[in-house]
Amino acid sequence: MTDQNKGGADQHPRRRGQGELEGQVLAVLRQAPKAVTAAWVQDRLSGDLAYTTVMTILTRLHAKDAVARQRVGRSFEWTPVADEAGLAALRMRRVLDAETDRGAVLASFVTVLSPTDERLLRDLLVQAPGEEEDR
Amino acid sequence: MGVFVFLPLVLPLTAWPIARLAEQRLHPKAATWLLTGVTAVFAVCSTLCLALLMVVGTAQLPGNPLPDGWSDPEVREAVPYEEVAGRAAIPALIAVLAACTCAAWQHHRVRRRAANALAGLPATSVAVLPDPTPYAYALPGRRDRIVVTTGMLAGLKPSERRALFAHERVHLARRHHRFLLTVQLAARANPFLRPLRTAVAYTAERWADEEAAAAVGSRHTMARAIGKSALLSRGAPLATLAHFAAAAGPVPRRVAALLGPAPAGANWPPVFTTVGLATWGAAAGTTVSALSSANSTVTLILILRAATPM
Repeated sequence: MTDQNKGGADQHPRRRGQGELEGQVLAVLRQAPKAVTAAWVQDRLSGDLAYTTVMTILTRLHAKDAVARQRVGRSFEWTPVADEAGLAALRMRRVLDAETDRGAVLASFVTVLSPTDERLLRDLLVQAPGEEEDR
Repeated sequence: MGVFVFLPLVLPLTAWPIARLAEQRLHPKAATWLLTGVTAVFAVCSTLCLALLMVVGTAQLPGNPLPDGWSDPEVREAVPYEEVAGRAAIPALIAVLAACTCAAWQHHRVRRRAANALAGLPATSVAVLPDPTPYAYALPGRRDRIVVTTGMLAGLKPSERRALFAHERVHLARRHHRFLLTVQLAARANPFLRPLRTAVAYTAERWADEEAAAAVGSRHTMARAIGKSALLSRGAPLATLAHFAAAAGPVPRRVAALLGPAPAGANWPPVFTTVGLATWGAAAGTTVSALSSANSTVTLILILRAATPM
């Protein structure tokens, strides 16, 4: 497994995923001193992304409530709302909400409780000794 | 051939007793391996026999791609001329293949999307997401990761957090997603295998619980971590099928198992106990299933050879 990590960690010549681009745009936006235009973001992004691509990503981030925008003249100025971890959390929630049968795929720590389960569980935890075991 | 071609379709029923008993009576690790192995063999044999029936079925269709010799009366005598079964096998096999493709595709789509969602974060083994909704997942991939929210961590004590991380690490280290995918596909291939899928999903959790409990050095802490996170997740908007059964769900059973004595180390139960008989029953069922499908395959190949000038 450690081998896999070493091998897979930093091979970045591959095509950048959508998630990665969103993260980069958000990172640039967070470095901005004030609300900035999409062109400002485009200038500071590594690689030569088209203006329309930057606009698409910003709009997508806006839909996720990760950035805010206000109209200035004929264009928008953008400010970050979430940080990269916050954006990842929003994206992860979307993935999870989209999968009705995700229990089938991801091994969740716990599954949802029925009312009976909840009562049973509370009883079990009351019986369980060992608060003193906590370090 | 004859009846042998139908046996593997129903033989998964012989594994139902062990699916019920293994989760209580066997060590979770042994139970997971045993049940997954049995399930995989049953699924392969069942699908193979469905394919053989389909070959017989297509012979009845006008304009079938089989050689002309296939329609000779002598050949018709040799193959089981089950008109209904043969024809029914065609849509059944298509449905099985479609369902399996769909399940495999879904598995990879969720993993890919979840990995994309975390793409911007530093490459750490644990990704803590600022989200009040409590959840924790083991995310296998090129870079194995544990995903946990601040909402989940906030509700747990340090020792319980360690137990949670230990549990997810066992899932990743033991590649539990492969067991789960195997039984998922098998349950799609033959609906009689569904109880085995449920059983493996449970024993894999128990395996992670027990190994994590050993790692953190306290089964009580592990039990409390599970119990508290389940109660935390209670209000979370998690879409699942509603629980209709009044019987205890998997979480209370896991907690109760951890609060009880540790499972015995014995991997293979003695023959003359209930669980022993159930195990041998499943083993016999698997063997018969494998032999039947092998027999049917050989028969069909021999008939094809004889019927066609190859």
